[in-house]
Amino acid sequence: MAGLTLTNVVKRFGALQVVHGANLEIADGEFVVFVGPSGCGKSTLLRMIAGLEDVSGGEIAIDGTVVNDVEPAERRIAMVFQSYALYPHMTVRRNLSFGLQMNGNPKEDTERRIAHAADILQINELMDRRPAQLSGGQRQRVAIGRAIVREPQVFLFDEPLSNLDAELRVQMRVEISKLHKQLGTTMIYVTHDQTEAMTLADKIVVLRAGRIEQVGAPLDLYDDPANQFVAGFVGSPKMNFLKGRVEAVGGGSITVSLIADPSVRLTMPVNSMPAEGTPVTLGIRPEHFTDAGAGNADLKVAVDVAEHLGHTSYIYASVADEALIIERPETRHSGHRQDFTVGLPARRCFLFDADGQRLR
Amino acid sequence: MRLRNGIAYAFLAPYLLIFATFWLWPIISSFLISFQNTRVNPWRFAPSLNWGRLVGDPAFYNALYNTLIILVIQVPVMIALATVMAVLLNSPLLKARPLYRFAFFAPVVVGEVAYAAVFRLMFSIDFGIVNKLLGTVGISAISWFDNATAAMALVIIAVTWRWAGYNAIIILAGLQSVPGDVYEAATLDRVSKVQQFFHITLPLLRPIILFCVVLSVIGTMQLFTEPFLITNRGGPGGGTETLGLLLYRQGFNSLNFGYASAIAYTIAALAVAISLLNLFFGRQAK
Ligand SMILES: Nc1ncnc2c1ncn2[C@@H]1O[C@H](COP(=O)(O)OP(=O)(O)O)[C@@H](O)[C@H]1O
Ligand SMILES: [Mg+2]
Repeated sequence: MAGLTLTNVVKRFGALQVVHGANLEIADGEFVVFVGPSGCGKSTLLRMIAGLEDVSGGEIAIDGTVVNDVEPAERRIAMVFQSYALYPHMTVRRNLSFGLQMNGNPKEDTERRIAHAADILQINELMDRRPAQLSGGQRQRVAIGRAIVREPQVFLFDEPLSNLDAELRVQMRVEISKLHKQLGTTMIYVTHDQTEAMTLADKIVVLRAGRIEQVGAPLDLYDDPANQFVAGFVGSPKMNFLKGRVEAVGGGSITVSLIADPSVRLTMPVNSMPAEGTPVTLGIRPEHFTDAGAGNADLKVAVDVAEHLGHTSYIYASVADEALIIERPETRHSGHRQDFTVGLPARRCFLFDADGQRLR
Repeated sequence: MRLRNGIAYAFLAPYLLIFATFWLWPIISSFLISFQNTRVNPWRFAPSLNWGRLVGDPAFYNALYNTLIILVIQVPVMIALATVMAVLLNSPLLKARPLYRFAFFAPVVVGEVAYAAVFRLMFSIDFGIVNKLLGTVGISAISWFDNATAAMALVIIAVTWRWAGYNAIIILAGLQSVPGDVYEAATLDRVSKVQQFFHITLPLLRPIILFCVVLSVIGTMQLFTEPFLITNRGGPGGGTETLGLLLYRQGFNSLNFGYASAIAYTIAALAVAISLLNLFFGRQAK
């Protein structure tokens, strides 16, 4: 087991720079999730940690030792690939034993590790099958098994669940979480799915276009996003963003009005004082609207569609040209194009400047 | 539905007609001819004449022996070489890959006569570059066309040169169908490159290599061009006469089509039998 340190890690493919100086500290035994939209450099970062890609700049250290020039085989890292990458011509048993056998691991020890992994993952009945004879979920288990028998210092997962159907994905997510508790090994997990990130991580690393936007515990990111990107990325359904402008400044707080409905005004405490008239963005999560009259301002919206899930409802609405999602518990409100009034609680609202940076 | 089929067959008719006339009929016809005495006019049905002669003909056994010797040496050497070439072609370190791919494939499209002429020059006793090069490492000049063993070696070298690249391209296609992350997984599994080749690449290539072996067996069983053009019509003294050459000699020199047809069917039967054996053992070895 080991911790990791990334210092100013840069990756270039030819002239194209895709990771722009990543700094990150990962503690021993931590479950860290890299999350971000497709193409933001998650896999590249992971593959640099594994040694499958060269590091163009900066340093990666595992357990205090810089590994930039250490062969992938010597890093004591195991990786689970999105495509599983099982050896197609080998049985499950052989898939698990192959690497150990090639390295002259004692036979009894290999047997012990395989039995242990098979028990953890409940793949005992599959041992004599080939990958082609397995379902997606079973292949994923075998791929994880192959990582477990290595007894690595660090596990790397690159979108391991994205080829599974929704139900299996939830199930495997829970199992990976259990596995981490059981083994206690450092795990780095890449996904573009914020739900996976929120449910699995001790620590989430939000990436955008090759930059780390924010690092923190799942609920810290939810409660206290550093910028509009993180605010929009963490949480489901997404946070609503409404255009606004600064109406008044003073006494450690500012008053903003909505462009869509200037009669809606909210006063919020901030540290930095933008000038009057500055455009801002007001963010509020779908689940944070209140009943009309219960917030600090009321907002009248036109309902486009209402989805009733029983315990909760999602109301897709608009105000002027801006779309909103509102989540209300136990609502039976329906009716296309009807007006609906909700309350906006100022303490649940976030303000962002024109660059998307948080105004606190 | 039936109308549709009718139209389809109408469109196919020209092809089917040509196929039947120039493919199917000669195949059937030569089978029938092999049971006839074609040295009398008109030809007479004589079921055991040609087949009986074949069983006792030393020239047939000589040609069979030569063909099998070439087969047993040339096919494995060429396939091994082709596999190595394919792996090198597939290496990410290789620059100018399309150039090499073309270069390896080029021998197949070079005209046979031109290629034979060049080989004859290169292997000429007195002024061939091959003997010159051998001379520089202290090997005395080999008379490639007058010594039966050397002539056989020359045929094998020539055939290998012409077809190794072709097989390498087929094997390369197989290599490229192995997903790269399997190798990455193996690398992280601490499996060395050499181990990866023997335990991952080769097993996964097995069906493709088997396919190449079968193709090559069929090709070599019919071998004609090289011994005809390079080693002087199977020379020296029948030393490189193959079944293909014997067939040609019987059919078009002696105009004994009955016997030539019997040889033709023997070649086909042997090619099928050896290919089936290959497939059988290739599958079993799994
Ligand atoms: N081998 C490569 N050569 C050139 N560009 C690459 C290569 N691999 C990835 N990229 C680029 O790097 C960026 C990040 O890719 P990747 O790390 O795979 O993203 P993610 O895993 O977050 O979806 C993308 O723009 C991608 O096109
Ligand atoms: Mg990726």
